Amino acid sequence: MSGIAIRGLRFERDGRMVLDLPVLDFPAGSTTAVFGPNGSGKSTLLRVIAGLERPSAGTVTFGGNERRRGDVAIAFQEAVFLRGDVRSNLALGLELRGIEPAERERRIERVARECGIAPLLDRRATRLSAGEGQRVNLARTLALAAPVMLLDEPLAGVDRIMRRALLEELPLLLRAVPAATTTLVVTHDREEAFRLADRLVVLIGGRVTAGGESGAVYRAPPDRATAELLGYTVLETASGELLAVPPGGLRRGPGAIGFELRVGRVVDMGRHRHAAGWIGRAAAELKLGWDEPVPAEGATVPVHAAEWVAVEG
Amino acid sequence: MRDLATGLAEALAMLLRGDAELYGVIGRTLFISGTATALAMIVGVPAGYALARGRFRGRTLLLAAVNTGMGMPPVVVGLIVWLLLARSGPLGGLELIYTPGAMVIAQFAIATPLVIGFTTASIQALPPRLPDLLTSLGASRLRTLWLISREARLGLLAAIMAGFGAVVSEVGASMAVGGNLRGSTRVLTTAIVTVTGRGEVAEAVAFGLILLALAFAVTLTLTWLQQRRDS
Repeated sequence: MSGIAIRGLRFERDGRMVLDLPVLDFPAGSTTAVFGPNGSGKSTLLRVIAGLERPSAGTVTFGGNERRRGDVAIAFQEAVFLRGDVRSNLALGLELRGIEPAERERRIERVARECGIAPLLDRRATRLSAGEGQRVNLARTLALAAPVMLLDEPLAGVDRIMRRALLEELPLLLRAVPAATTTLVVTHDREEAFRLADRLVVLIGGRVTAGGESGAVYRAPPDRATAELLGYTVLETASGELLAVPPGGLRRGPGAIGFELRVGRVVDMGRHRHAAGWIGRAAAELKLGWDEPVPAEGATVPVHAAEWVAVEG
Repeated sequence: MRDLATGLAEALAMLLRGDAELYGVIGRTLFISGTATALAMIVGVPAGYALARGRFRGRTLLLAAVNTGMGMPPVVVGLIVWLLLARSGPLGGLELIYTPGAMVIAQFAIATPLVIGFTTASIQALPPRLPDLLTSLGASRLRTLWLISREARLGLLAAIMAGFGAVVSEVGASMAVGGNLRGSTRVLTTAIVTVTGRGEVAEAVAFGLILLALAFAVTLTLTWLQQRRDS
């Protein structure tokens, strides 16, 4: 078993703190989304775990051991290939890890089938489309069957249709790896984070603000930044409390926890309408039923929070 | 036109006759320029790699110096090497002046900036994440370098061609530090100068055509290697 244990990890670049992770664990066999805005240190964390960057301080251990060559397979955000066909690109990593030719062939055939790239095997790897490239990138990583698998933005640069398909397929592929594989998926997209992994680590400004089972993290965001990242609207009550309101948690009319929504514009979403505007300085949206009167743009509408979680500042 | 035709006939005649001096000059030319180019590759490829990938102070300055070096007049390089190796110069004790060794040094100095420049450009044209990818796939440092060189082989072979092409065809430096001594430092280019000076135009054209054929043969081989389909 090869869980990842991070202790006292600090990473500085040009005197600036990029990562500050006193204690962070990824249990053996788990799939975790490392979720955060751009520049939060997500990719650096993957690079440090993969041994491509040396941390300024601290340790990363795998199942209690130092990292050995072959422990980690990483798929970079932009798929990089060598000249030659897809098959030889898939074979290279296996060859470098000393896998016998017959076993190489078996693994390539398997991942090609699983990732839907069998028809691409004899194509030039540097001539693939973005979507094809990401599939091959993924296949190359899966083929290594490493105990630790790191995927950096696996759906980056993929068109909408391919992204839809991969959002469905990728969780199945990740479930098909050996049970002891510890997988990390870096993403800045909320939907990806929840669909691809069952655990969530929220990284903001190089620090972990929340971590654990995805649903539990979502239901109890600890602070404003985390709540906003998870899609909540954070509102301040008259008494100065901060409330994180989930999408659809605002209702029309006065209530126990009331606010004034200044309507910016009304958006016709097809099956319903949204009044988008501001409560104080926070952007907020109110869902309107078809039978409801449409507020004028610029008008102020009384609303109340029907669902909310209290958060820290 | 007539001179060109007689030159061609003369060249063939000399080659077929098995002219010992001619073959000596050809062999020496290939040996001196080949050695200089090989040494330039040994120094220039790692240096070019470091310039392409490294992030250090003075990198831009160094690159500018290399780019300037790519266009250095050979005769100036010859002069500098002559000043260093001359009997009274700081390295005069080595007694290299007017030997093939001195010519190798001068040609090495001419070829190295070319090799560095071409290497830097070809490495910079590769995906920046390539070394990381190879490391993460499990390649050792040496293997990574080898694989990267293979990816950059178009540019690296261009570097050899540019380096060899420059030194095999230059005359100024070879003349200055070699002295054009018959039987020891005379190469094709300096031979052309000598026979032209004597007014033996047909022979000069013959040497010129042989030099062109030699340069073409070497470049053709390298181009063939460069353009081979990916295996």
